[in-house]
Amino acid sequence: MNKTLALLTAASLFAGANAEDKIVIKGSDTLGAKMVPQLAEAYKEAGNEVSFEIAAEGSSTAFTHLQASPADIGMSSRNIKDSETEAFTAKGMEIKGWTAAYDMIGVIVNEKNGVEELTTEQIEGIFTGDITDWSEVGGDAGPISVYTRNTSSGTYKSFQEMAMNKRDYGSDTQKMAGNTQIADEVSKNGNGIGYVGLAYTEADGIKAVEVDGVELKSKNAKTYPIARSLHYYTVKGKLSEAATKFLAWATTDDKAKEIVERVGFIPAE
Amino acid sequence: MSHSGNPDSPSSPAKERLVFKRRGVQIFGLGWQDVIRIFFGGNASLAIIILILICFFLAKEAFLFFPDHHRDLNSYRQSGQEFVGFMGEEVTAHTNLYSSANIAYFAEVNRTSRVEDTILRSYRSVLANVENRSSKTWGRLEREIDALEEVEDDLSDLDPETEEDVAEIASLTEEKRRLEKEIPPLREKLKREVNTILSWDEIWDLGVGAEEPPADSIPGIREAVLFEAFPDAEEEHPFIEKTKQISKEKKAAAAAELAEFKETIKGMQAVVRPLKDLERELKEPALENKKEITSFSTAPERRDAWLKGAEATRDPEEKARMLARAEEVVIKEPDYAAINQVFYDAITRHASIAAPLEVEMKTLFDKLPTPAGVVTKSAKENLKRAGVFYDRFQESMASNRKKIREWSHDHPVTVVESVSAFLVGKNWTTNSSWHDFYGLLPLFTGSLLISIIALTVSVPFSIAAAIYVNQLSSFREQSFIKPAIEFIGAIPSVVLGFFGILVFGEALRNISQVEWLQWFPGFPMAERLTILNAGLLLAFMAVPTIFTLTEDALNNVPQAFTENSLAMGATKLQTVFRVVVPTAVSGVIAAVLLGFGRIIGETMVVLLVAGNKIKIPDFTEGLGVVTQPAHTMTGIIAQELGEVDSGSLHWRALFMVGMVLFVISLLVNFAAQRVLKKFQKI
Repeated sequence: MNKTLALLTAASLFAGANAEDKIVIKGSDTLGAKMVPQLAEAYKEAGNEVSFEIAAEGSSTAFTHLQASPADIGMSSRNIKDSETEAFTAKGMEIKGWTAAYDMIGVIVNEKNGVEELTTEQIEGIFTGDITDWSEVGGDAGPISVYTRNTSSGTYKSFQEMAMNKRDYGSDTQKMAGNTQIADEVSKNGNGIGYVGLAYTEADGIKAVEVDGVELKSKNAKTYPIARSLHYYTVKGKLSEAATKFLAWATTDDKAKEIVERVGFIPAE
Repeated sequence: MSHSGNPDSPSSPAKERLVFKRRGVQIFGLGWQDVIRIFFGGNASLAIIILILICFFLAKEAFLFFPDHHRDLNSYRQSGQEFVGFMGEEVTAHTNLYSSANIAYFAEVNRTSRVEDTILRSYRSVLANVENRSSKTWGRLEREIDALEEVEDDLSDLDPETEEDVAEIASLTEEKRRLEKEIPPLREKLKREVNTILSWDEIWDLGVGAEEPPADSIPGIREAVLFEAFPDAEEEHPFIEKTKQISKEKKAAAAAELAEFKETIKGMQAVVRPLKDLERELKEPALENKKEITSFSTAPERRDAWLKGAEATRDPEEKARMLARAEEVVIKEPDYAAINQVFYDAITRHASIAAPLEVEMKTLFDKLPTPAGVVTKSAKENLKRAGVFYDRFQESMASNRKKIREWSHDHPVTVVESVSAFLVGKNWTTNSSWHDFYGLLPLFTGSLLISIIALTVSVPFSIAAAIYVNQLSSFREQSFIKPAIEFIGAIPSVVLGFFGILVFGEALRNISQVEWLQWFPGFPMAERLTILNAGLLLAFMAVPTIFTLTEDALNNVPQAFTENSLAMGATKLQTVFRVVVPTAVSGVIAAVLLGFGRIIGETMVVLLVAGNKIKIPDFTEGLGVVTQPAHTMTGIIAQELGEVDSGSLHWRALFMVGMVLFVISLLVNFAAQRVLKKFQKI
């Protein structure tokens, strides 16, 4: 709440200084919490004289806002719904999506484990504690040891949302401090399973399973189920010049990619 | 003395005058002596004041937890989440039953393909071992092959007609040529390496206790591993393919025979579907209600924030806007009866689902094979467990049906309920999308179990060591052993924790796999990070405390006692065990108690080594419970305090856990003091 307030205040101050070069970005909290503000900051540091107004109140607000003022940018952590596209069409506008970044989490097992593939339903079952033995998911018999991040981690929450239908973790899960600890335990425990960010799946002794038949590779970011693409949305032909320039920079510049990676996402492309 | 020194001799009259001079340097009318006295006294009282402030702060934050928690539990009820939770319990009871039956089924099916599965497992194990040993070359080859693929991908994307792409195509083609030239020799190198490695015996070490593959499959496994060293082949070696195929066929054949079993299990899964759907359906309005209630309780704060913002800003436009926003914040209490109507409406629906579910589950359960009717040990055990879970399922259905019928959203949570929800609550769930629970019991049992192990191990060792050093050893031994044991206390606990993860945990698990140790409850262990591991490390840490204090207690036994005993003709050992130790027993008890205090307050080791599973350990395993992971009171504070908002319920819950620890330590110290006082009377 306070953050939004501060941003609004800051934005309105800038607005007074230079009204024509203001870029308004609204929508998803996932993008708007860290990534976009940091990109905006870096963009200004790179010598571009613009001001930003960023409001992160949920993906849906991106579309309602774009309908009212088509010159701006919308942020969304999900694809646009059909009904939303229709609303734009009804107003004679055409909406265009840009991939801002990808968000991917690998499910890892011990490299000696025979299980190569899990479905999202099985993953939900394993992490919520409904499935407790490897034989239930096509492996050799053995009790599953589940390693998760601890409750303060952001991945803990986003995995819950993406792979567990927002259900709570089973009480048998062990809470580890970080990606490395999870990878370590899984590499030493033949019956272990855990999840780590893409960058940690290369560690020794573990392998990432295919989820719903899709391998965990950055090139599969679009189809991998425990991943989502994060989008910018704009209205075709109505985007302001400053916003066009910023979008091009944010999706292609190396510095921008670096920021995207730093906040834990995979750069687009 | 040089000529510049004081020529006065001690007997000179000038010196005598100085000795008796009352007034030296004075500060605020106080002499040096007074200043020093006040300085030391001041330090002592400052320490006490700080201690009191800490206690006050801790107590304030901790006890504010109870009203907050009470409010939270009330909103859990008022939002209808509690109601949905009852159904959740029913579903969980069913899932436990279903899962055991399912595991039993798979144990029976997999029994037939055991040989093939062993071969496949051995193959994976050997392959992993080989890959680890040659990881440098292997990794490089894989990277280069990936790189080549990527370059080819990029090349196919580029258009040779467009001008911009031409330069890039040239550089990519160059890269491609380089990779193509590098890969074949690398491949040869890897092949040679893998061949050599395959001849090492340790590669074939499948881990302690693992089943060996049949001898005639070894050449096949070797072939397959060599084949894998050419990572461009997408499909697997024919031998592995074939084994997989046979395994699959055998399983299919077994499954055909066990079709009825499978049908029963599928039936179990199907009959619970309506209940699950109802639960899922009701979760949404419950979460909506929760949101509404939270929004109501935070509304005044939000309005104040806008008002404060309006006051701070100078821009009149901005001010008007903020005031308008403040006006927009509605402080309206939700109509609890209305928002909970959906749950009251669901009572009859639930009854119409639950009754047939129970009936059908009974028929299905009766159709399950009996433990005697299956072959494998695992299936027998799991079917036995399924029996237990079936009883629990029936109990859960009965008790929850009653709870659902009698549930009322406006029945206030009593103080006893809310306090016991913390003190004996079995569930500690935080950062949940549903509802956070703060039940101390899993953490408390974890801490207690670890302490008990640590004490059982460290007490005999340290007391025996203290007796030996104090009574029986030579002076030279004493001067070596004492500092050595006391040095243990100087090892930083985080170092011990790392040792516990990397060395001790692994060693313990390997020991637990040894054949002739299988009588030990809980062996073989699956985990490295367990109660046992943490307990043993803490035992090590407690040794210096208990040893030193016991030794002091033994030292305090008057020499005359020993001398009298020896003079009466008792042997040295008789004297030690009949005279010295009994005299010092209260000091020894105090030492043990203080050792306990040291153990229960230790944080770093348990956080790193105990495994952090927030669940009351499963005592049905008997003593084997020690091989499970657990979480502790100290560990949870260290793990979660860093990220919670100060002043939130979660933060206060953690303070309350700290308070419980504080009280335990206080009681232990108090008890130790009392015991020691008794000892001083001798």
